[in-house]
Amino acid sequence: MLSLLIRLLRGNRDFATLIICALLSAIALSLPPTAKTVVSTIMSAPIIRPVKRVATAADGLTRIRSENARLRRLVMELVEEKAALVSLRHENERLRELTSFIVGFAEEERFDLLPATVIGMPGGRIIEGLEIDAGAASGVEPGMPVIVPDGLVGKISRTTEGRSLVEPLTSASSAVAVTIERTRVRGIVRPRYGGTSELLDWQMDYVPARSDIRAGDRVITSGLGGLYPAGLIVGDVTSVDEGPLTMTVHVDIAAILPAIEQVFVLKGLVAPSPERDAMIQALLRELLTKDALSASSEETPSEETPSDLSDRGDP
Amino acid sequence: MRIRAFALLCAGALILDAALAPEIEILGARPDFLVLALVYGGLGIGVSISIIAGFLMGLMVDSELPEYLGLNALALSITAFVSASVLDRLVKSQVLVQCSVIFGATLLRDTIFYTIYYRGNLDIFGHFVLRYSLVGAGYTVAIGLLIHVIARLANWRAITGAPRR
Repeated sequence: MLSLLIRLLRGNRDFATLIICALLSAIALSLPPTAKTVVSTIMSAPIIRPVKRVATAADGLTRIRSENARLRRLVMELVEEKAALVSLRHENERLRELTSFIVGFAEEERFDLLPATVIGMPGGRIIEGLEIDAGAASGVEPGMPVIVPDGLVGKISRTTEGRSLVEPLTSASSAVAVTIERTRVRGIVRPRYGGTSELLDWQMDYVPARSDIRAGDRVITSGLGGLYPAGLIVGDVTSVDEGPLTMTVHVDIAAILPAIEQVFVLKGLVAPSPERDAMIQALLRELLTKDALSASSEETPSEETPSDLSDRGDP
Repeated sequence: MRIRAFALLCAGALILDAALAPEIEILGARPDFLVLALVYGGLGIGVSISIIAGFLMGLMVDSELPEYLGLNALALSITAFVSASVLDRLVKSQVLVQCSVIFGATLLRDTIFYTIYYRGNLDIFGHFVLRYSLVGAGYTVAIGLLIHVIARLANWRAITGAPRR
């Protein structure tokens, strides 16, 4: 049998090679584990191991690159999100100020305040008017005072169904009966224009000489003339020029017209209502509580999340 | 084909098998670059050398799985023997013959490997052959066809069997 196999192998070189290789494979398969490990280490050294190492490194590089791209996208998204949050925070603060003002103002004066948004500013270098999105349909009428939390803005000059035009204090024909809050000295505030129709400042006229007025005094509406109710902030005294008979008082207007986005139209006094008073009191309490909370959170600095911002309670 | 060129071809096949094949797998099936090297290399090198090449390449592949050291060596030796012997008896330059041999050789290698690896468990063996081997054999044939087209364009006589100019 063996001699027959040897004769067969002698006659067929290819078959003999196969038998030898198959035998070697069988021997390799039956080697003890330690010997297999040694042979494997020897056999993988020339080609497989270096190739695997390079392939692993390339794979890692690809993974790092894709991770890098993903992180870049994430950073961009976070930057956009942060910008949106900052914008929301500013809007929130502005609305909170407005709400605080409207609640406080209405509680003290019992005025009916109609909020409106500025939708246009006709005019060039000098703002000739403010266009707001509240008109006759909302009960707005010409002559009604327009205010912001900082102070008086002007009065309604024209109305249409859905819009109104506000004549601001910069208007050449503007004249407001005012008084100095500290000393109750009265006068009229008007804008003063230069030779080239350039607005120089506001001046308080008809003030008797040697009146007790000094820079920094608060100027408020006097209520004389019936156009503006008494007590609205107009601005502050910047300087005083003494004359022989009268004084010239220079006033800085409190409301900065180009920066105004939201205004309130003073529609008149409202009848006393216990429900309205209760609602205002509740709103005030809520605002005070949230102010106290936000003050305490500012003392302990922490990262703000979108939920934190929304929890502040937009008005 | 000279032995040195055949050795380079086998080394290239090992590199492709280790580095490229995992990246281009389709439905879990990979092209068998080692079988391609044995079939195309075996066209002009002879059966015996093909068997030895298959054995050595198999041992190198087995070094990744020391527990079954010798299994791929055995499978590739037999595959090399069968494919080279079949091609010796057929018109080996015909593309259909080459594709058939590649397909059969890939299946044969997987059959030997899985039969021993799963110790004759027919259920698992059948699953692997149907799920991976058939797709892998088709994939390998597609790569083989691509090589044949390139060989025709580059006028590699060993593969295309074109007469000398």
